[in-house]
Amino acid sequence: MIKGLYSAVSAMVMNAARQQVLSHNIANLQTPGFKQILTTAEDFMQNQAVYSPALNQASQIEYLGTLGLGTQIGPEFIDFQQGALQDTGNPLDLALQGSSFFTVKTPDGNRYTRDGRFLRDADNTLVTVEGYQVLDDAGQPITLPDGDVSVSPEGAISANGTAVAQLGIGVFTDPRTDLQHTEGNLFSGPTASTSQDVPNVVQGYLETSNANPSQLMTQLVEVGRSYEAAQNLVRNQDELLGKTIASLGRIG
Amino acid sequence: MSSSLFHTLNISRQDILTRLTDLDVTSNNLANVNTAGFKASRSNFQEMLNQRLTEGNQLLNTQALTGQGALRDSANPLDWAIEGEGYFSVTLPNGDTGYTRDGQFVLDADLNLVTASGYPLAWDGEITDGMTDISIGSDGVVSATDADGVRVEVGTVQLTRFPNPSGLTSRGNNVWLESDASGAAQSGAAGSENFGTIGSFRVEQSNVDLSQEMTHLIVLQRSFSMSVKAFQQTDTMISEAINLRKA
Repeated sequence: MIKGLYSAVSAMVMNAARQQVLSHNIANLQTPGFKQILTTAEDFMQNQAVYSPALNQASQIEYLGTLGLGTQIGPEFIDFQQGALQDTGNPLDLALQGSSFFTVKTPDGNRYTRDGRFLRDADNTLVTVEGYQVLDDAGQPITLPDGDVSVSPEGAISANGTAVAQLGIGVFTDPRTDLQHTEGNLFSGPTASTSQDVPNVVQGYLETSNANPSQLMTQLVEVGRSYEAAQNLVRNQDELLGKTIASLGRIG
Repeated sequence: MSSSLFHTLNISRQDILTRLTDLDVTSNNLANVNTAGFKASRSNFQEMLNQRLTEGNQLLNTQALTGQGALRDSANPLDWAIEGEGYFSVTLPNGDTGYTRDGQFVLDADLNLVTASGYPLAWDGEITDGMTDISIGSDGVVSATDADGVRVEVGTVQLTRFPNPSGLTSRGNNVWLESDASGAAQSGAAGSENFGTIGSFRVEQSNVDLSQEMTHLIVLQRSFSMSVKAFQQTDTMISEAINLRKA
């Protein structure tokens, strides 16, 4: 009975953690380049369930199988699925298709991102909305000349018809294993691409968040009800325990 | 992974607040759908993650979208529109220079060219008494017919551009100010390299795209209600945890 109590509580803890990630995904429904975080639930530990018929027959222990002791939150995964492209008409808004990433320079080192909201800073350097420099294929910041900028699908930047730089784009065969989610909308990973695929840059578009509102709402209901069910189980067992203590101990 | 439902409440609360700011930005865009020379702004949200702890989102900044607005013909010779990059310079009441794309000028009682808000245009030239038929060429040269009926050049309007115009600080009244983010102002003749041309009898309309703003409003409202739902549910979960022990 005590085991059951803790199993039920473990489900509450697990669902509270899921609720947090869910709220995070909901909060980033409108963050360009955002990749939703997926949670996993796994078995906590398995115990052997045993049955001994009577106290004086201690040798006759029967193994009945295994007994689960609840659940716990498993490792988080990033869903790297492509988000929809949104037309902004802004020449420095870039979107990527396929499993490729822009390279940006942060104070903590180079990072990869799908967030293509770029700007010129006061010195004409191409930066992200957070002010991180966008790097070219040689790992150097990109300085844009005055005038209209165009970006080819391969990531070549040109201004007024002359080539300026080639965007440093990392292409990965399996971003789930190659990349780690380090800061908001940024990933750290290997310095070189692991795939030979040619990136596809779309100018004037932004990749929207790949979180799906209807999926999120379904998950929200699921988490809420699971939490409620687990809470009910705890209360049920508490009641049973109370009854056991109150009535089994009564004499006469 | 440690987590607290109170932290989760905070994620939703923060999101609700950023959506409200975004609503202000969108409302301002919608309110200025007919303001000449107006530039739409957008809210830039960013994911927050601290030591792998999910913290929802934050509003990084609002970014002015400096795309060209459509040009509309007008019957007023003092309606000047910039096609391409650049801003008109105006002198603000405190002596500072402001920048605007709203070229609907009028002549005030002292024969200054002023904007609708009354800020005089900063240019090298002067309109004197009796001048009529003031017009501007695409290169910014202003000419007029003087009191004797002779066509004369009265001065030039220069344009000002910035490396990062979306970094200009909005002062209100359709006027922008130079900032650290915008970079230093560069003046130049209209029509020269990287500068736009000036057209008279023209008004640059607001670059707010009505359908885009309305779509954004829908998405914004839905995201807002989703976060409210998530907030309410987290609240319910906390209350369930509190009521674990039956009274």
